[in-house]
Amino acid sequence: MNCEQSLLVQAYLDGELDAVETLKAEQHLESCVECQAMAADHAEMKAAMAGATYYRASAGLRARIGAALDAENRSDVVKEFRPIRRKPGFWLGAGSGAGGMAIAAALAFLLFLPANPLINDLAAAHLRSLMAGHLIDVASSDHHTVKPWFAGHADVSPPAEDFKAEGFTLVGGRVDYVHGERAAVVVYRHGAHIINLFAWADRNTSLPGTRSRDGYRMIFWKQNDLDLAAVSDVDPAELDQFVALVKKSQSRE
Amino acid sequence: MDEKRRRFEALAMPHLDAAYNLARWLTRGGAEADDIVQDAMLRAFRSFDGFRGEAVRPWLLAIVRNCHRSALEQRKRHAATPLGETDDTEIAAEGPTPEASAIQTGDGRRLDNAIAALPEEFREVVILRELEEMSYRDIAVTTGAPIGTVMSRLARGRALLREKLIGRPA
Repeated sequence: MNCEQSLLVQAYLDGELDAVETLKAEQHLESCVECQAMAADHAEMKAAMAGATYYRASAGLRARIGAALDAENRSDVVKEFRPIRRKPGFWLGAGSGAGGMAIAAALAFLLFLPANPLINDLAAAHLRSLMAGHLIDVASSDHHTVKPWFAGHADVSPPAEDFKAEGFTLVGGRVDYVHGERAAVVVYRHGAHIINLFAWADRNTSLPGTRSRDGYRMIFWKQNDLDLAAVSDVDPAELDQFVALVKKSQSRE
Repeated sequence: MDEKRRRFEALAMPHLDAAYNLARWLTRGGAEADDIVQDAMLRAFRSFDGFRGEAVRPWLLAIVRNCHRSALEQRKRHAATPLGETDDTEIAAEGPTPEASAIQTGDGRRLDNAIAALPEEFREVVILRELEEMSYRDIAVTTGAPIGTVMSRLARGRALLREKLIGRPA
């Protein structure tokens, strides 16, 4: 297509022009053979494209998205546990003998849930990050790239140093929501394991220290006006080593 | 159901088919379209409070496109791709050969293959214009390209598609 006016004519054929430009395009079309041919092609293509497949979301996908949106709402997550508590058989067994300890542990777990939304958020964010395509928004092993990316996307500037020599490779970063705050997440790989390092603004709330949830260990601390949490299923000693490295690098900043 | 969820159901969920259609065409029929759309809807929901734009569809489709991009990046990193292999060679390998097109049964199938064989930058504007019937402005929002670029890619994409379908340069 060599005619200079071809994009104007295409826009006319696509119904994108106002009255003045429409007139201009129509006048041009009267005399330009090349654009007349394009107009014929355009009509032909439009008719043909009606035969292209339009893919629609399956009922299964729709349901999964509905469930994922439900899970986003913390109060809904807590609600799911209520039917268990209401079961009469559960309570009858609870009072008797040896089962008592296990029941107490289960009960503690239930009571624990609503009281620690922060831990729920981190566990959910860590699990989500392990699903395909959720781990990284910016992929880089270069902290010179990761750090400025956070400047444009997160509210805080997290430590983002590569500890490759120590076995913790920086693989990228993303932004996640934790406890209603936008948190910067720095992602590391240690062997086959992923470590998510969450950082959000210190709002003078107390942090839990060290916790475990669903096989993942979480270490919390405060440093340089940030609340930080390292979450992973690596060996506990290795997670401690990783946290020590981050603390050391951050104290240099 | 809280207010945010109700708003999301009313404004964003009606575009779920559009999101899925784009994901299917971007991945050229890949099974990962489901994951991409689920990821995109979740991300859209999380940032829905901050959404102040007037049109939901181009914004939502931009998120689908970004999720597709990051999934692609991730697959590339995990797969041991030889150096120098680009997305274009991938397209050439997966696109139908002229012989293969000729023996396809029915025009729809042949048309689908021709669209799938377009390089991504042209394929996405053709899909957004011809199947979603979006305005140039909305396509620009979704693809992050200036309107002038959208127009030239659309012209080139249509010409390429025509060439693939009738087997000679337009």
